[in-house]
Amino acid sequence: MKIVRPVIRLGTWRRKVALAAVAAATAASLTACGSASSGASSDGRITFLLDSLGNSWVPNTSSISSFQGNVYSQIYDKLVYVDDQGKISPWIAEKWENNKDYTSFTLHLKKGVTFSNGDPLDAAAVVANLDYWAKGQPDQGIAPISLFPKTYAGAKAVDATTVQVSFSAPTLGFIPTLGYAGSDLYAPEAIAGSAKKQAELSTNYGSGPYVVKSWKADDNVVLEKRDDYDWGPEALGSTGPAKIEQITYKVSPDAAVRTAAVQSGQAQVAYNPTPQQISDLKGQGFSVHTPVYLGFAFGWALNTKTAVFKDLKVRQAVQHGIDRDEIIDTVYTSDWKPATSFFNDTVPGVSDQSAEFGYDPDAAAKLLAEAGYRKGSDGVLAKDGKRLEFTLYSNPYLPTSKQVDQLIATQLGKLGFKVSVQTYDVITYGEKITVGAPNVAAYEVTRSIGDASTAANVFTDADSGEDWFGIGGSDATINKLRDSIRAATDPTQRDADLAELQRHVLEQAYYVPITQIVQRPLLASPDLKGVKTDSTAFAKFAAATIE
Amino acid sequence: MRSSYPGFVLRRLGQAVVVVLLAYIATFVVISVLPGDPISGMLNNPENGFSPEQVDQIVSYYKLDQPVPVQLWESLSRFLTGDLGVSLRTNLPVAPMIGQVAASTFSLAGTALVIALVLAFAVGYGAHALPRWAGRDLLRAFPSLFLSVPNYVVGLLVLIFFSFQLHLFSVIDSETPVGTFFAALTLAIPVSAQLAEVIIANLDHESTQEYATVARSRGLTQAGLFVRHLLKPASLPVVTVIALIVGELLGGAVLTEQIFGRNGLGSLVQQSVTTQDTPVLQAVVSLSAVVFVVVNLVADLVYPLLDPRVRLTEPRARATVPAPGRTPGPFAPSGLSTTKAG
Repeated sequence: MKIVRPVIRLGTWRRKVALAAVAAATAASLTACGSASSGASSDGRITFLLDSLGNSWVPNTSSISSFQGNVYSQIYDKLVYVDDQGKISPWIAEKWENNKDYTSFTLHLKKGVTFSNGDPLDAAAVVANLDYWAKGQPDQGIAPISLFPKTYAGAKAVDATTVQVSFSAPTLGFIPTLGYAGSDLYAPEAIAGSAKKQAELSTNYGSGPYVVKSWKADDNVVLEKRDDYDWGPEALGSTGPAKIEQITYKVSPDAAVRTAAVQSGQAQVAYNPTPQQISDLKGQGFSVHTPVYLGFAFGWALNTKTAVFKDLKVRQAVQHGIDRDEIIDTVYTSDWKPATSFFNDTVPGVSDQSAEFGYDPDAAAKLLAEAGYRKGSDGVLAKDGKRLEFTLYSNPYLPTSKQVDQLIATQLGKLGFKVSVQTYDVITYGEKITVGAPNVAAYEVTRSIGDASTAANVFTDADSGEDWFGIGGSDATINKLRDSIRAATDPTQRDADLAELQRHVLEQAYYVPITQIVQRPLLASPDLKGVKTDSTAFAKFAAATIE
Repeated sequence: MRSSYPGFVLRRLGQAVVVVLLAYIATFVVISVLPGDPISGMLNNPENGFSPEQVDQIVSYYKLDQPVPVQLWESLSRFLTGDLGVSLRTNLPVAPMIGQVAASTFSLAGTALVIALVLAFAVGYGAHALPRWAGRDLLRAFPSLFLSVPNYVVGLLVLIFFSFQLHLFSVIDSETPVGTFFAALTLAIPVSAQLAEVIIANLDHESTQEYATVARSRGLTQAGLFVRHLLKPASLPVVTVIALIVGELLGGAVLTEQIFGRNGLGSLVQQSVTTQDTPVLQAVVSLSAVVFVVVNLVADLVYPLLDPRVRLTEPRARATVPAPGRTPGPFAPSGLSTTKAG
C-alpha cells in the first residue's frame, strides 16, 4: 500500500491547510512587526504572486479563469474596452454600428495593429476569433467561451479593416461582450490546431503590450514589454508601450506568504489577500484593489417549492432579518459593499432596489407573526407543529461564505429561525447541491454574467432555463419581462424592463441579496502606481509605473 | 539453500515491474469508479449554457465516452510503449510535466534526506556520548519536539526569519540552492526525529554489548568507540527506516512545497486529484512505485554489506534464529533474514 501513499496523504492535507491558515495569520502578524521595506524594484521589473496559474492554457478554456486571466490581460487586446463601471470605449475596434433590430453589427478596426508573431490583426483575424469564441473547436477538444451570445450566426471580412457580424435574434449585449474576459484577440496561427498545441502558451501570440518571455507550467510566467505597442485603449490613459519592463507571475499558494513577500519587498503584488490581511496592511501604505465583478451579487435564490419558503411573508422576513452592515464589519473590510440589487453595482442596467430588502428586524418579526408563526418552548418559531428551519450550504467558490452564513444564522436565530450551516468541498457540493433541488431551500449564488439579460434566462424554466426559484412559468410578470428583455431592440426600454424585473423579483423576495462580490482583490507595493482594472476585474499594467 | 545475488536482484526487479503495472492499473480503476469525467464535469456547469451535443463532442475528443475497459486498454498499451499520454487538466504531454516537477521534488527530498541524516546522527551521537551536564538528556527530548511541531509552522518560521528578515533567499526564486536548502531543512526536521529515535535506541543497545565493553576496557575513547564499533551496527536499522521514509519525503513534501512556492510532485498530485486528471495521476503513482521499489531494493542490497551476518536466503528456508545480541525486529527487510555467519 505504500506506493499510493502520496495520494492517501492528501486526505489530511485540507485539515493541515486549515491549521496552516492559523499559523499563517500568526506569521503574517509577526512579519508585520518586522521591517516593511519599500518593495521598490528599480530595474522596472515587478513580481506578481498568485495562488495558482490555473489549469490549461488553451485560450478558450482558460480565458475566463481567475488565474490565467491575469496574464492574458497583459498579452492580449480586445475589440472594445469596458471600464470598471461598464462604460464602453474603442480599442482595436475604432468604431462600430448596428442595424435597427441589433441583429447585424459592423466593426471598423484600427490600422497597423500586429500580433507579436508579425501577423496583422485585420478583419480576417477578427472573423477567426469571433468563430473561435462562439463555436470553439469541439473536434479539437475546445469548447466555446461560455458567455458569448448564443445567437451568433456568423461574421465576414468586408475589407481588411471592416467586419460584419450577424445574429439570429436581437443581441443588444454583443458590443459589451467584446470587452469581457474571454473575448481576447489571438493570432489566427495560435488558435489553429489541437488542444495540445494551443496549450503551449509561448506560441499563443497576441497583440497586447506584453509578450511571453518564458513560462513553466503551474509555476511561473515571465512577460516582457513589447516596444512597438501603439494601440492601447485611450480610456487606460496610455496607448503606447508599457513602462514596466518585465512582469513575473509566480505561484505562491499560501496567502500569508504572498502578502508577507510584498511587505518584505520580494514581490510587488499579492493576489487574493484575505480581508484580514487587507485590513492589516492598508494602514501601512500598501495599496488595495477590491474590484467588484460583473455578475450576480452574493445572495440566496429561495426555493418557493419548499415548505419554509412557499410563504411570501417568510421570504420577506429573511430579507429584512439580515444585517448586511454587520456582515461587512465582521467578515470583510470597508472595501466590500452591501448588495443593492440581485446584481453587483457594476452591471450595466442595475438599479438600486435596497429599499425592498433593508435590515428591519421589527418588520421581519411582524411579517413572521402575520404568517402565523409562534415561538415554541425552544425559542424557535413554528406553525402547525412545523419549525421554521432550513439549512444553508456554504458556497465553496466564495471562501468567506461559511463565515457569512454563520453570522446570518445568528441574525436570523434572533428572529426565531433555526438555520443550520453545512459546508462541502467543491466536488461534493457540485454533486449534492443544485439550484432548485427539493433539499436546497436557499441556494447561494455566485454567478458571473455576460450581460444583464442572463437574469431573464435563469429565473424561469422556459427554454431549459434553470428555474432558480422553483416558480416554473407561474409568475406572469417575470414571463412578460423575460420575453421583452430577450427581444429588446431599444436599450432604454430594455433598461426599464430590467429595473422592473429587479423590483419585482426582490419585492416577491425570490432572491435575498447579501453583499457585492469582490473578485480578484490585490495588495500592491506603494511604489507601484497606475494599475487599472477594467470590467473583467483583472489588473492591467499597460499604464503602470514602478518607482 | 542460499540464492545468488544476481538471482535475487532479478526476482526483485520482476516483482518491481509487476508492482508498477498494478499501481498504474489500480490508479486508473480507482479514478474510473468516481462518477463523471473531468471534461463533462467542467463543461456541464449550467453557467456555460452548452448543449449536451456540444459537451458530448468534446468528451469524445478526449475518448472519455468509451467503455472503461477500452480506455484502460488504450492507456495500458500506451504506457507499455513508454507514452504517458496527455494531461486532461493542462492539455500538455505528461512526461515533461512530471519531469519538471520530479526534478524539483527529488532535489528537495534528496537534500532533506541528507540534512535529516546529519541531524539525526548528530542528535544520536550527542544523546549517547555527551556528558549529562552538557545536555545529553535535553538532546533526547529533541526527537519528540521535532516530531510534534508541524512542518508548516517550521516552514513559516524559516521563511519569516531567513527569507523576509535576513533576505538569504527569496520566495520568488525558490529553486535556488539556498532556497532548496531551507525548504529541505523544514522537511528534514520531522524526518530526522524518526531517524534519531532509532539511532539513539540502537546506540544504547549496542553500547551495552560485550564487544563494546571490551573495546572500552582497551582504552578506546567514546568517540573512537562510536566511529569504529558502534556506528556500523547502529546504522543497520537506519537503512530500513530510510527506505520507508522516502515515501514520506515525497508525499509529505506537499505542504513544504506550498509554503515555499515550489512546484513539485505533491502540488501536482493535489491538482490532479481535484481535477480527476487520470493520466498524470497514473504516471505519478507509477513513478512513486518505481522510486519506492528501487529504494527498498537498494536498502536490501546494502544490508549485507553493513552486517556480514545478514545473508540472502530462499524465502522458504528463512532462518529465524537471531544473531547473537540482535533481535530481528520490524526492521528486517523482506527476502532477507539474519543468520549466523558461516
